Amino acid sequence: MSDYFAGIDIGSTMTKVVIMNDGIISSIIGPTGPEQRRLANKVMENALNQAGLPFEAITYLVATGYGRINVPFADKQVTEISCHAKGVAHFFPECKTIIDIGGQDSKGITIDHGRPTDFVMNDKCAAGTGRFLEVIAEALGITIQDLGGMALKSNQPAQISNICTVFAEQEVVARLAEGVPLNDLVAGILESLASRISRMVNRLKVANEVVITGGGAKNAGLVKALSDKLGYATLVPPEPLITGAVGAALLGKDIVQKAKKNSLPLERKKRSLEEIEIL
Amino acid sequence: MAEEQKKQERKKRRTATEAASSIGPMVKEFITGTIRAKAEGKKLAYTFIVCCYDEILGAMDVVPVWTENFAGVCGAKRDAERFLERAESQSFSRSLCTYALCGLGFDQWREELGEMPPDAPWGGQARPDFMLSSGQILCDPRNKWYQAAQQYMPDVPIYDVGLPYPLYEDDIEVADVQDYYIKYIVAELRGLVKFLEEQTGKKMDYDRLGELVDLGERTWNLIWETYDLRRAVPTPMGTGDAMNTMVPMVFMMGTQEAYDFFVKLNKELKDKIAKKEGVVEDEKYRLLWGGGLPSWFALTDFNYFNSKGAVFPVETTYRMIEPIYRLNMPDTNDPIERLAWRWLGYWTYWYDKAKKRPGSEPDVERLIQYIEDYQIDGVVMHEAFSCRTWHLGLIWQLNQLRKIYKPIPVLILGKDGKKREEKRELPSLILESDIIDISTYSEVDTRNRIDAFIETLEQVRKNKADLR
Repeated sequence: MSDYFAGIDIGSTMTKVVIMNDGIISSIIGPTGPEQRRLANKVMENALNQAGLPFEAITYLVATGYGRINVPFADKQVTEISCHAKGVAHFFPECKTIIDIGGQDSKGITIDHGRPTDFVMNDKCAAGTGRFLEVIAEALGITIQDLGGMALKSNQPAQISNICTVFAEQEVVARLAEGVPLNDLVAGILESLASRISRMVNRLKVANEVVITGGGAKNAGLVKALSDKLGYATLVPPEPLITGAVGAALLGKDIVQKAKKNSLPLERKKRSLEEIEIL
Repeated sequence: MAEEQKKQERKKRRTATEAASSIGPMVKEFITGTIRAKAEGKKLAYTFIVCCYDEILGAMDVVPVWTENFAGVCGAKRDAERFLERAESQSFSRSLCTYALCGLGFDQWREELGEMPPDAPWGGQARPDFMLSSGQILCDPRNKWYQAAQQYMPDVPIYDVGLPYPLYEDDIEVADVQDYYIKYIVAELRGLVKFLEEQTGKKMDYDRLGELVDLGERTWNLIWETYDLRRAVPTPMGTGDAMNTMVPMVFMMGTQEAYDFFVKLNKELKDKIAKKEGVVEDEKYRLLWGGGLPSWFALTDFNYFNSKGAVFPVETTYRMIEPIYRLNMPDTNDPIERLAWRWLGYWTYWYDKAKKRPGSEPDVERLIQYIEDYQIDGVVMHEAFSCRTWHLGLIWQLNQLRKIYKPIPVLILGKDGKKREEKRELPSLILESDIIDISTYSEVDTRNRIDAFIETLEQVRKNKADLR
């Protein structure tokens, strides 16, 4: 009977589930919110349905992300730093630097053979995260998905001097009233965000290959701005949101294989596919 | 209200050493002791730690009121917010030093009431007879705090003690400029003695001062020798405890109690080493607390590190001593001059070492020395937003470490008996919060970072094992 490994990454904005054996056989991305966080089991059920597997078929399940604690259907919890390292190396074996731009935090990770060697995190300030883009897109009356394409059409990005999300929003509205073209404003915003992220990441020993993950990686304008700021060409996985969940599944696979290789019993938790208890 | 506050106070932090657990009552005694001293008519001075002149105060029977300490106690008891808010209502910005804000809020409240604010931590901070400000470690609140406090206590005089030391330049020899600095420091300290004589109506007893300086110097050597015991594997004491044992070092220098405390700690550590009794049962990772004052309200984070098998055998914070015999102090019987030489010797101790490594700086050199002496696996720093002086250069220090130390290859003997080059991998973690402003702190985020850091240390170890 085949072994199946699952990873669930409960982030601040999205919950991602990946089921693997030799490759990815199922992946689901759903929103995270107070209610959805509790119902992360539903995302898991969707992934199982997509794979055509019962929950019991999962040999090992690793949870990661901010919501990883208290997941009653996981065998193990691992932080997103280790999971991103493992997951990105699966897609880009030569990767040395990861930049993950999530909904409410951003991270830089240096890796060696799929293992993290150092990291930096911004979980203190919305500027430098996807939340910054959400606020600005709302202020401009456009969707977050439109930002990247608009920025690429700009020849003269506007200067956005405020790094605080709230004040940047005010500045953007004021610049719009001054008649600054929307595309230039959006390009300026993405440069401002890229500048903030690159300053954080440059605390590390950045080296090729540089891979960008998270929701921010779906924004072509941001990826370009970040590549320009860092001075490195950057790579983006086919689905940049699931690398953490892929890594979680692969770490589970490693645990199972190591136990088998050494003829050791597999340490698993008593698990049940039920709602997460949130205090 | 008092009951509610008590409920909010955290459980007592678990310490590794008996000595560290005895510190709480000692600090409480400082604070209640100042209130008692005030009632007995003794002279009280607001002052700052690491001031160089502890022994002068002792010889003049002046009771120090350590204002930073009181603010730290408010933070540790999670009772600083009401004083911070009061300072804000007096138009002080929340982004100023939160020690100063807490003290100013408290002083304003006490002066307005004419008595201690309700349920003041450990009885409150006594009103001083005079204030001794100083700018010796480039900390501007040390000058400005008491000036601001004077608006609530206009009758309380200030004496400002300037205690400079030459900033590091790789092409300047300390020996070339030290006489000028010593002359200046000595003049400042003599000025302090004159001020204290005026305020207390007593003359300085220089024989007594000499005895206290002797005792202080012996205590410096003893502390250094005691802390050096922590090199042992497993380490018998961590930084969490050192944040307690710093009390006799920085608040009681030149007292028999401080000396006796470190005799006791020294013995305790030697006993633990003999029994191979470490901070944790299974020591996995040895970390350097590479700078930054701690979040006094979150000292249990040290226990969280310990729960993951991580220990801190060494820290740069509050290690304000070096062995006296290494400070190149000239022979002099003048206790004021000895204090001046000790001061200058301490602050320039790492200068010569830094010069030998291109691109280095004294603070970075100190990190490197500790990394090697204490077999360090990773560096942790704390960036406290309100303390610019202490915390501003920390990231820069990590950057320098990355540039000048980590790239140096190390030769490792592999399983096959062949030597191969290996990179130094020294992960670092920067915690972000404040010294006493709890509104800057998130336990969930902090512990998430610690978890990720511990996993990184483990992965680095696995990478090394695979390569060997």
